[in-house]
Amino acid sequence: MATVNNWIDHLTAASKAEGGAAGPIFPGAGSEGILVIILVIIWIGWTVISSRQESDKLEKLARRKPSSNAWKSNITDG
Amino acid sequence: MTSQIDALQTIFTEFYYWITVVLMFLIHVGFCMYEVGASRYKHHQHTLMKNTMLIPLVTVTWFLFGWWIYWAFPTGPGLAPSIMTESTGLVLGGGFGANDLANPTNEFMAITLNDHIMGVFWAAFLLFSWTAASIVSGAVIERITTFAFGILAIAIGSVFWSIDAAWGWHFDGWMLKILGYHDAYASGVIHAVAGGFALGVLAVLGPRIGKFSSSGEPRNIGPRNPWLVTVGLFLIYTGFWGFYAACNVPIYDLGPEYGMEGVTFFTATNIYYTPTTLSGITMNFLMSLSGGLLAGYVISKGDPFWTYSSGLAGIICASAGNDLYHPIQSLIIGMIGVVIAYKLHYWVERKFKIDDAVGAVAVHGYAGFAGLVICGFVLNGYPSSGYSVGAMWDGSTYAAINPLGMFIGALIMFFVLGMIPGWIIAKVLNGMGKLRIPREVELAGLDYQIMEEAKEDEKAVASSSS
Repeated sequence: MATVNNWIDHLTAASKAEGGAAGPIFPGAGSEGILVIILVIIWIGWTVISSRQESDKLEKLARRKPSSNAWKSNITDG
Repeated sequence: MTSQIDALQTIFTEFYYWITVVLMFLIHVGFCMYEVGASRYKHHQHTLMKNTMLIPLVTVTWFLFGWWIYWAFPTGPGLAPSIMTESTGLVLGGGFGANDLANPTNEFMAITLNDHIMGVFWAAFLLFSWTAASIVSGAVIERITTFAFGILAIAIGSVFWSIDAAWGWHFDGWMLKILGYHDAYASGVIHAVAGGFALGVLAVLGPRIGKFSSSGEPRNIGPRNPWLVTVGLFLIYTGFWGFYAACNVPIYDLGPEYGMEGVTFFTATNIYYTPTTLSGITMNFLMSLSGGLLAGYVISKGDPFWTYSSGLAGIICASAGNDLYHPIQSLIIGMIGVVIAYKLHYWVERKFKIDDAVGAVAVHGYAGFAGLVICGFVLNGYPSSGYSVGAMWDGSTYAAINPLGMFIGALIMFFVLGMIPGWIIAKVLNGMGKLRIPREVELAGLDYQIMEEAKEDEKAVASSSS
């Protein structure tokens, strides 16, 4: 995974390259496409799971039908 | 960075934008406090959570496609010729426009020693995205589902504001070239678009239960914690400093950029590469804030909620031209924006039964719209872009700032990219039954279950003998 194993070697080689390019230094450089796909899966997955959780919660509470002042009996004061 | 002066300029610019990002974070802290203060006790925690979760949702999507949209669509596409050609030396990446540069798989979208600017610039724009979504968040409190708000936050934060920034903020933007659009500190590209989007959503979402009497008379549901609202708005003012700074290029030599032979002219510029000074915009920021507060205090007869919000509306209204206005012009424009926003808020509320819980549509939308229109008159004739002159000039036309172009620009921001998309997306979500929470939950309070669990926890702890 390591893109850089020796900073002196890396920066020396980079400074000799055209434009002094030192390039990416994150682990697994070149795997950016896979990382982006993983991020899309995390985003969509989170949306689906959290949406289901919210719908369940709202449905359960709606079935109980607490009165509009019932919350006052739940106030905690320490 | 081949020379010490290049290195100094690059590292200074990197650090400058980094500071703006930290300052702008305070806007979001302020929005969270403000919304919680404005909401009723039984909805506090849900209100806070909704506004908090827009941070990861907009950030992830901004990384995936929001930033890419900004770089990909400045010319419409096809509405105006691009200056990003070989002859101007502005080709930043291959493919479609410069979109390769902001492609999430590009090496510049990560730590690379070849670049010191992309990440902080990406982040500065991202903080604008959060703000756009957070403006909508306040308007819809106490009755929207977190799921629906998440979708809407992504739509305004990572799609529609990004399109408007490409059109009206990017140096290659077609609105600059054709309309002479000028919006230095985002009266339109952030505030009018987000306010319009919020209005579109509210038209579908409907008012909170009890907001209107059976005869249609609006009832006031005032802020439950005025102190939190006050501190929240002061934090938004503070974050706004970062917002202003982030809209500038801190140091630039305009001599060679404008093709002025032998001339060196270092200055700060606005986002269009026309000169301004941090010193001058600091005065204008404070004077427009003051104008807003003065007008808000009088027109609301000393109402604290409206007075504080009017300070913000004053800045927003003057922002389009605050790179060039005289401080007293800024103050007067701020005052005019507040009067328009306040009057329109109550007219729309009565006429269309729109329940804008925090006045977001008024403060951001109406004041932003008015600011663009006023800017068209006051700055009539100024160049809209630094790219209309000198070395970057390739023959394509950049219109000068003018009243008609700015008015059309305001319509595009508020209605075309704001209200209409907001209304359509909210309609779709409503059709799926996902937009609004059940009536029983709204009455009981979104925090009912959390509060009940907290009470049980407290009972258990209180009854414990050890």
